Amino acid sequence: MKRPRIGVFKFTSCDGCQLSIMNLEEKFLDLLELFDIAYFRETTDRPLTGHFDISIVEGSISTAWQKNDIVDIRERSRYLITIGACATAGGLQALRNWGSITDYKNYIYPSPVIINVLSTSTPISEHVYVDYELWGCPINEKAFSETLISFLIGKKPGIPIYSLCMECKRMGLPCILVSKSEPCLGPVTRAGCGALCPYFQKPCYGCFGPKEDANIESLLKQFQNMGLTQKECILLLDKMNTYAYRKAKIERS
Amino acid sequence: MNKFIKIDYLPRVEGEGGIAIEIKDGRITRLHFKIFEAPRFFESFLKGRSYSEAMDFTARICGICPVAYQMSSVHAIEKIFGIEIEKPIHELRRLLYCGEWIESHALHIYLLQGPDFYGIESAWASRQYMPIAKKGLGFKKLGNQIMAILGGRAVHPVSVKVGGFYKTPERKALIAILPDLERAYGESIEGIKWAAGLPFNNNAWDMEYVSLRHVDEYPINEGHAVSNKGLDKSMDRFLEGIQEYQVEYSTALHAGIKRDTSVSPYLVGPISRLNLNNDKLPLEIKNAINESGIALPIKNTQMGIIARSVEMAYAFYEAIRIIREYEKPDSPFIDFTTKAGEAIWITEAPRGMLIHRYEIDEGGHVKSCTIVPPTSQNLGHIESDIFHFLKNNLDKSAEIIKKESEKIIRSYDPCISCSVHVTYS
Ligand code: SF4
Ligand code: SF4
Ligand code: SF4
Repeated sequence: MKRPRIGVFKFTSCDGCQLSIMNLEEKFLDLLELFDIAYFRETTDRPLTGHFDISIVEGSISTAWQKNDIVDIRERSRYLITIGACATAGGLQALRNWGSITDYKNYIYPSPVIINVLSTSTPISEHVYVDYELWGCPINEKAFSETLISFLIGKKPGIPIYSLCMECKRMGLPCILVSKSEPCLGPVTRAGCGALCPYFQKPCYGCFGPKEDANIESLLKQFQNMGLTQKECILLLDKMNTYAYRKAKIERS
Repeated sequence: MNKFIKIDYLPRVEGEGGIAIEIKDGRITRLHFKIFEAPRFFESFLKGRSYSEAMDFTARICGICPVAYQMSSVHAIEKIFGIEIEKPIHELRRLLYCGEWIESHALHIYLLQGPDFYGIESAWASRQYMPIAKKGLGFKKLGNQIMAILGGRAVHPVSVKVGGFYKTPERKALIAILPDLERAYGESIEGIKWAAGLPFNNNAWDMEYVSLRHVDEYPINEGHAVSNKGLDKSMDRFLEGIQEYQVEYSTALHAGIKRDTSVSPYLVGPISRLNLNNDKLPLEIKNAINESGIALPIKNTQMGIIARSVEMAYAFYEAIRIIREYEKPDSPFIDFTTKAGEAIWITEAPRGMLIHRYEIDEGGHVKSCTIVPPTSQNLGHIESDIFHFLKNNLDKSAEIIKKESEKIIRSYDPCISCSVHVTYS
């Protein structure tokens, strides 16, 4: 059997999700037996040619040339999977969607006019059809290899869609929202990280993005009852998945 | 004869960059290390946010060295608040950083730069290289394990907190990986010999190396900035001595040391640290350096792979030492009150000095900040380095120049995703 061709692509990102692929360590070498990594700029010199059975995309769309490139990649791909908060939700850099790009450029560059970027950072799915989205900042590497294998055998990946709280309770961790009155985003966040922050007794800051049908408004009310201002509540949502949380909040209200 | 050399998108480096070289009538008329990585404006986003968010925000600048970002920011903020962290926390942070040095160095040595010396396109492109790649992945895995025990995961760990950690690990969790670390340490010493025996170009020249230096230890989280050409500055004063500037072909700003009439490029990273601090290495590693025939100071950047191999062995050595001495502290962090103020802190990221400056207001919010990553400090130096190589190799074919320039760039382990986050101030 011919091994399916895989391409790994990067847009605006920190490279952490691609590194998570490498962090599969020996399992990464096993994947090489099953798949032909035909394009992965970070790790191999192989040039970009031909079509891909599966394209894996890290990073958000934040420049004009990226808008063209993602269309080209889509055309070359049978399936397209996004990895991480940047590609799936626009990333932390999507905070610029709520401000003026000119101000941001002026703050950083002495000659801001030569910096060519879009005023927004948006998820891949706003530009082309996406077959499957993996959440997380970074993604969980086990969920990644499971997803690849699922596509190989033509099955739907069994990634949980329930909330982080379910995962947290299953691990028997004390609830910091209840016991310490700290604003934990667990109730509206996707499971998948293994309840890392609650394990470290730190409130979840939502790096896995909103779970399906999250009732954000009601959680924020609870936070306000605990003494947070409305602005502080919004800032809790405004992190690596700001675009997705804000959208989920608006869609339900 | 005229030559044009262009690489649009460099492979086996982190982030997006390319190179353009033009040689006309035997003269170098253009030499641009182009960075087209899209900027993400992190410094702007941090304005108005709570000090406590700085660690999780800045970590997202780089997935390969998130601990470096967390360490530079946490120390800068602790300095503003006047927090003196205790020895056990200092040691645990050093251990976390060792994990990142191991992970990052192993990735670069064995999977990214290694293939250059074997003429292959990737670490898995030849059967002959496979055992070397596997060894590298084995080292990397241990670095990741250290980070996962201390911070939950290797990419963007979650445990670092102003005043200490959210939670400190149980002694037995660390002791459990000790046998693996001890074995890996032995193998990493062999790795120094392997690296020293690789075939290098002869592009040695007189460079200025800059790194932290500390009275007691090989620098990671503390020290002051020094160079081989007389620079000696406390962390506070370092930014005053450098100049950042913009070039039209790069979304990353360049930096150099301000001299009387000019701005001169400097090198940060493993070569600089090793050249300036090898006296702080334990005897076993000094012996391994001598036995491998490595001449210090290293004056050829392609030999960064040697410096990285030495530092990876040292990081294993330190990790073992810290774990053996570790006792879980009574409290994972110390209490403090927030204060307004400003501070600069520098730590040694795998790729070199990472400078953070924060200004915090009375309410504990970030008023302004500056981030100067190692790769942007190296950009000017990379161009000088290629220039030096070209001067002596103008007669070579465009193909050879292209390959060799690419190798020089790669030997810096540039992190281009990081580099686009310099703030001009
Ligand atoms: S989602 Fe997070 S870890 Fe992944 S590339 Fe974006 S910033 Fe990095
Ligand atoms: S700690 Fe957070 S994630 Fe865990 S149950 Fe409570 S609210 Fe949910
Ligand atoms: S608990 Fe929340 S913020 Fe922490 S790792 Fe999990 S999803 Fe991310």
